[in-house]
Amino acid sequence: MRTTRSALGILLCLLLLAAACAEDDQTFSASAGAPSSRATGAAASGATGPAAFPVTLTDDDGVEVTIAEEPQRIVTFAPSMTEIVFALGVGDRLVGVAGPFDDFPAEAKAIRQVGGAGEFGVDPNLEDVVALEPDLFLTIAGGDPWKEQLRELGVTVVTLNATDFDDLLDDIGKVGLVTGSVGEAEALVAEMAAQAGEVAAAVPERTTCFFEVYFAKTLTTVGPNTFIYDLLERAGCDPVTADATSDYPEWSVDDLLADGPDVYLATSESASSVEEIADRPGFAGIEAVASGNVVFVDSDLVTRPGPRVVEGLAQISAALFAPGD
Amino acid sequence: MRPGARRYRTVLVVLALSLVASVLLALAAGSVGISPGSALRLVTWKLGLAERPRGVPASTEVILFQLRLPRVALAMIVGLALAVAGTLFQGLFRNPLADPAIVGVSSGAALGAIAVIVAGGGALLGGLGVSLAAFVGGMLTAFFVYRIARVGPAVNVATLLLAGIAVAAVISAVMSLVMSFAGEEIRSIYFWLLGGLSARGWTAVEVVGPLILLGTAGAVLLIRDLNLVSLGEERAAQLGVDVDRFKWQAVALGALLAGAAVSVAGVIGFVGLMTPHVMRLIVGSDHRRLLPAVLLAGPTFLVLADLVSRVAIAPQELPLGAVTALVGGPFFLYLLRRERRRATARA
Repeated sequence: MRTTRSALGILLCLLLLAAACAEDDQTFSASAGAPSSRATGAAASGATGPAAFPVTLTDDDGVEVTIAEEPQRIVTFAPSMTEIVFALGVGDRLVGVAGPFDDFPAEAKAIRQVGGAGEFGVDPNLEDVVALEPDLFLTIAGGDPWKEQLRELGVTVVTLNATDFDDLLDDIGKVGLVTGSVGEAEALVAEMAAQAGEVAAAVPERTTCFFEVYFAKTLTTVGPNTFIYDLLERAGCDPVTADATSDYPEWSVDDLLADGPDVYLATSESASSVEEIADRPGFAGIEAVASGNVVFVDSDLVTRPGPRVVEGLAQISAALFAPGD
Repeated sequence: MRPGARRYRTVLVVLALSLVASVLLALAAGSVGISPGSALRLVTWKLGLAERPRGVPASTEVILFQLRLPRVALAMIVGLALAVAGTLFQGLFRNPLADPAIVGVSSGAALGAIAVIVAGGGALLGGLGVSLAAFVGGMLTAFFVYRIARVGPAVNVATLLLAGIAVAAVISAVMSLVMSFAGEEIRSIYFWLLGGLSARGWTAVEVVGPLILLGTAGAVLLIRDLNLVSLGEERAAQLGVDVDRFKWQAVALGALLAGAAVSVAGVIGFVGLMTPHVMRLIVGSDHRRLLPAVLLAGPTFLVLADLVSRVAIAPQELPLGAVTALVGGPFFLYLLRRERRRATARA
């Protein structure tokens, strides 16, 4: 009697498992069926001119991606990507962004946010993304496990990670390519290159600097392979952190006291005033801090590899070579 | 019919219905709402039992069958594995405090995973490299602990228990050391230590599912020996149980189950300790009655705990291990108190 019941219980359990496992060989495409009807609408409007779709490119994760038709439902998962998409004039096709940091331009704030998921609250909510039925998902490096899952779910993921200013211009061209706004991208790239050229041409003499990313008992700065480091060099200063071996190394105050950079740069987020920096133990002895050569940079303009970095570049340059500011 | 048989049958029916209900609930709940009705209709359609329900968007189908179902299925098999492993170890050690981590499987598995992540192999075999390393780490540790406790053919259960605890402690220390070299990989390491079922997809279910079903089937075959050994090793031997072989089988199966679970879900505590314990309080300690109840309760518990971890502070997720302890702990204490009070009243 009891053995039959045991068997019954086990059988029940296995049955449920079998039912659950039976689904795996089915593959659904999140965007299947949906884009075809929309694509005709886009072609009729002709706003972005004739685009050469399908487009194939190898993204910065080394994944070869093919975009069959001009994307009409775009999700961006990085504020920089959101800014680029808007700058290319296709912001109206954004159906999802990452979160509250997607705050520029102001229209971006009204777009549905799909981030904040995962154990650490920094992953996209895959259910929300799929429900938006996007035909393009633009993002930066990181998050390989969920990217892989998104691809399996039929979402077209394109990763572009700008490592320096030239790479950013290249990436903007790629965003233009995959969103069918090649002309707009070329114009934007030319404009940004020209502005960067102006800044470079206006450098009177090179100076040395230190860039503070944040301070929390220890000081964090930028290494030579980072985007910000490249901007600093273009603006006319040579960071004293040239021999750093990692991208965002911790830096000792002792080294700063010894190196004595001409200018101390901090972002609007890491500190609020010269006094605040000087109050930290040992910092008052740093030459640039003592002489008040501290410059605050709008972090959004330098940490987001997007169209506004040329503004950040001009801001750094102006601060470096405008004494008394 | 023996007295109590009717009650036992009721318990099993209630457990089975709870499992079905919690699975449906877990399929329906999430940041994109799917009514349990739609979920049920879509599932019956998938099984070929009905027409495709009209008016359900394609994305709902993807969410249900490629995001939620694999996750619920994984919760079921991991819950099953941990609960059965707990039952085996509690039976083997005749100790209600034994859980799947007792012979070092969990810590060994976590160390295997962490070592591979820190060494930069996190993406090997599409992420399965880490699971493989976890499984191998768990099995090796269990084998090592078993060898320590074995003298000639005989295995002293108390030595096995102590060796397991000591080895686990050493491994924890090694883990702390390895973690200091982790750098930016610390995030994926914490995921292992906290345990969780997110972003796994069907692959995890396909890989560990067969192992867990195999281990569970093996455990079912050990029911008679488990009962006899609970009378004491000498009695069991007199009644024809090859006690040493039984110990080897129980440890191997328990390690297989726990290793498989940890390899895909990280270290999730409390399921393996509590499920068999609670079921014992409800249906008694005869393994013929206990195991079927555990087979139903383990999956139910983890499916519900994972549901809570997903929706409690959505879109962020709570660590699953914290939920299992937070939800399970108080319930466990309540049952324990109630049982004590009854026992006192009877005396």
